[in-house]
Amino acid sequence: MALSTFFGSPRAVFSAAILLRAIFLVYGLLQDAYSPMKYTDIDYFVFTDAARFIAQGQSPYDRDTYRYTPLLAWLIYPTTWPGFWFSFGKILFAIGDIVAGWMMFRILRSYQSMSQERALKYASIWLLNPMVATISTRGSSEGLLGIFVTALLWAVLANRIALAGFLLGFAVHFKIYPFIYAASIVWWLDDDQIKGRRANKSATSASLFNQILSFLSRERLALALCSFITFMALNVIMYFAYGWPFLEHSYFYHLIRIDHRHNFSPYNTLLYLNSSPKINANIHAQPSLELERLAFLPQLLLSAVLIPFVLSKKDLPSTMLAQTFAFVAFNKVCTSQYFLWYMMFLPYYLPESTLLQSPSVGITSLILWILGQVFWLQQGFQLEFSGDSTFFPGLWTASILFFVVNVGILAIIIRDVKSKDPSTPQKLAAKKKA
Amino acid sequence: MKQRITFLVKDPDSFTPEKLEVKDESLAMSAVEAVKEHRFTISLDELPAGLRRTLKQWNVLHIKWVSPNPYTTVPPFTSRATPGLHVFFSSHKNETQSHLCSLLHSTFGKELKCSRASPAEEVATPLFYAEEAERADAENQYFSYLPSLDGFVANIQEKICPQSSKTCRQDLQTLLKASYFDIDYSSTSTSIVLTAFFDSPPGGWTEDILKPSGVHTIEVGVLTHEPNPDPEDIAFGGFLTMLGRDTAPKATRFQTPTLHYPLSSSLSYTTSFQHPTGLHPTLQLSFASAKDLSPPDASCRLHTHLTLPSYLFIDQYQFSDSLFLSSHRLRALANISGATDLEAPDWVIPQWGSSALFEIAHPGPDSPIPAGPWNVSIPMHLRYLPAQVASHARVPVAWPVVFWACDAEQDGRGNPFDRRNLGYEGAFGDGVRFMHVPPAQGAELVEWIDVPVLDIRATGWVETGTIGVVVAAFLGLCWVLFAGGRKTKGDEKKKQ
Repeated sequence: MALSTFFGSPRAVFSAAILLRAIFLVYGLLQDAYSPMKYTDIDYFVFTDAARFIAQGQSPYDRDTYRYTPLLAWLIYPTTWPGFWFSFGKILFAIGDIVAGWMMFRILRSYQSMSQERALKYASIWLLNPMVATISTRGSSEGLLGIFVTALLWAVLANRIALAGFLLGFAVHFKIYPFIYAASIVWWLDDDQIKGRRANKSATSASLFNQILSFLSRERLALALCSFITFMALNVIMYFAYGWPFLEHSYFYHLIRIDHRHNFSPYNTLLYLNSSPKINANIHAQPSLELERLAFLPQLLLSAVLIPFVLSKKDLPSTMLAQTFAFVAFNKVCTSQYFLWYMMFLPYYLPESTLLQSPSVGITSLILWILGQVFWLQQGFQLEFSGDSTFFPGLWTASILFFVVNVGILAIIIRDVKSKDPSTPQKLAAKKKA
Repeated sequence: MKQRITFLVKDPDSFTPEKLEVKDESLAMSAVEAVKEHRFTISLDELPAGLRRTLKQWNVLHIKWVSPNPYTTVPPFTSRATPGLHVFFSSHKNETQSHLCSLLHSTFGKELKCSRASPAEEVATPLFYAEEAERADAENQYFSYLPSLDGFVANIQEKICPQSSKTCRQDLQTLLKASYFDIDYSSTSTSIVLTAFFDSPPGGWTEDILKPSGVHTIEVGVLTHEPNPDPEDIAFGGFLTMLGRDTAPKATRFQTPTLHYPLSSSLSYTTSFQHPTGLHPTLQLSFASAKDLSPPDASCRLHTHLTLPSYLFIDQYQFSDSLFLSSHRLRALANISGATDLEAPDWVIPQWGSSALFEIAHPGPDSPIPAGPWNVSIPMHLRYLPAQVASHARVPVAWPVVFWACDAEQDGRGNPFDRRNLGYEGAFGDGVRFMHVPPAQGAELVEWIDVPVLDIRATGWVETGTIGVVVAAFLGLCWVLFAGGRKTKGDEKKKQ
């Protein structure tokens, strides 16, 4: 069959992935050149403006809404050169996609013991996904994270602990949220998972002190140390180079931000309601409990504590998917770019998932996931462009429904991972390699 | 105190000197169709000590109020500014902030957006200047839409009119008919200047102007605008009378360069918003016919100056793309200053708003002139407004001003009628004169936008609902994690 020969050849799949991005890139150049409606993402103009500030010896934070590490602006420094170089960043992000896809393919081959064809098929969820290709070729940096996070996963599975620590520190510096992976990786780095060296010891010594001692294995300490040093070193360097604005825009902003503008988050309407000053308060003087301030609790408990604790020893990549899914679903801000964060883990989870094993569940989930967004987008369009006040009940209901759909899918993922045998092929493979 | 009253007759042919009559210390006139400028120059010594002290805190202070009701202009009163209350100032001390807000609240009304709770210098925004321009003038800008001087008149009556004096109250009451009203103070001068401008009442002015006691001089001019060969000069002829000194109006004629010129064509513009406005309203400037939009002089460039309250903002980064600009018939965003944050809701913006200066495209000499109107559009964005007991909040957006900025050969500084500090001159530097495109006569010079807001009459369930769903979801997932769900396949296999 043509399709199986296609997926039988890495060259064909990767060529197609490159071609897909090349077409999108050229199409984007044409649309930008001939239409006042730009293909290029607004964020890309933010990055390239910031790079220009850097090139002039100024701070990238001189550009409004630049909320990233200065490293990003440095990475795309060539965009400040004349002519075609402006697209350098998009090409870089697109190459990042491909490299991330190649690493996914390698992970699927080595650690999930898949045949080449099967591995290529599942890697194509990322490689040939038009959404992924669009996001990177429009110049959004979310895809770049795919490289770091996938490399992190690969380094952990390959037992390259120092490298994993470095990548973790780097990824957290880049985008904060990957810190949730620290918990699952640390928990997964169990003695018997990795080497079985001190397995017997820890089994016999049951005292609390010894338990703690055995928990603090060399790998865990190395990971913690490497990631912490990388993270702090980058921060210190950036702080000395760019001062307070670096901390303010790349970290504190994300901690204190209340995104009032409508987005997919279930908290959105509540945040708008409770952060808005009370006008005519006498009419609706209902004291608020301001429980939204505790929104980080369920989010972090699930994504950084409970899910890693229960699942990571069973299947690390799928646990990371569940963590990311929980983090995004319970976040106070949620836009469609965030979906990319969990999409990069789908190739590891889907092969044995209920979503694929039971097509009715899978298709229903997909349809509901899409319908939730369609309903929300329709309400959002009414608000933004028709000026209808759809905040309540329209947008609120839509975001709550979408949240419920997400939680449902997350429940399926959790159940699937929970039911896995702890000694999954990846760990056997990891053991073998070690 | 000195007073200068200047009438500029609208139709020179309709005016004859017989309409004026000088008696002792008064001048009587009947049915003179004219615009009127009434200027008071008050020496600082004549002011109450408290007020003098307040003024001394400022280096310069220019308060300009412009009515939203359309009015006609006759040269030299050709200048235009966006309707509302403008304050341009700089101060000696760094506490401008609190002075500004207390001054505005006590004189113009408490409803003006000016929060003393905000950190110093955050309500006002820096005024933009061309590099070569003199910076001796005001450095900061404040604006708020204010439809009338009702509050101001009431507050001032309260403050300065003795209980017994009915005339004091009545005199101030006439201010309510003003089309614009300026208060100008500079620490380099020893006086404060108040200027009120009035359009002609129906039937013209029939008045008896008396020299009140306490007024040192009162000069009344009745002038007509005369054509003259030099395009950079404006010329007047008419009569000047010093009340109490002159027994008959004295004929006069003079010509002078000026800063603000009228346009010789009948060009005018209207402002509107494309509907529906949504959260991204597009302001549209419409010139009735494209063929009237030819530059009066080769050096002239067409501009619009926008004064936007904080709920409305411009994303300056949108205007760097030439295709985007030309699709909106804009040439460039020349300047922008003030609250330009792209994300913040209105209630966290301490500044009054922002001002922007655009250069507008006009039909070129080479390209064919399109038939019909010439529409220019400026895409804007709305901030979130506080949730309230309604589904929409109605907010005003006063019309921007439109003018040609042209090179000036002569320095127009000598003109005693020029109005300065209007917020946009500084951006051009010296050697520029302004030819104003008047707004179309008709409706008020203000547009209203209905901004969708969260309606709190319906949101009683939002808090309970959201928290309830999140907690239920969290607990459900915990149950799946710890208790429920299928039994581990692996475990079962292991046991077997």
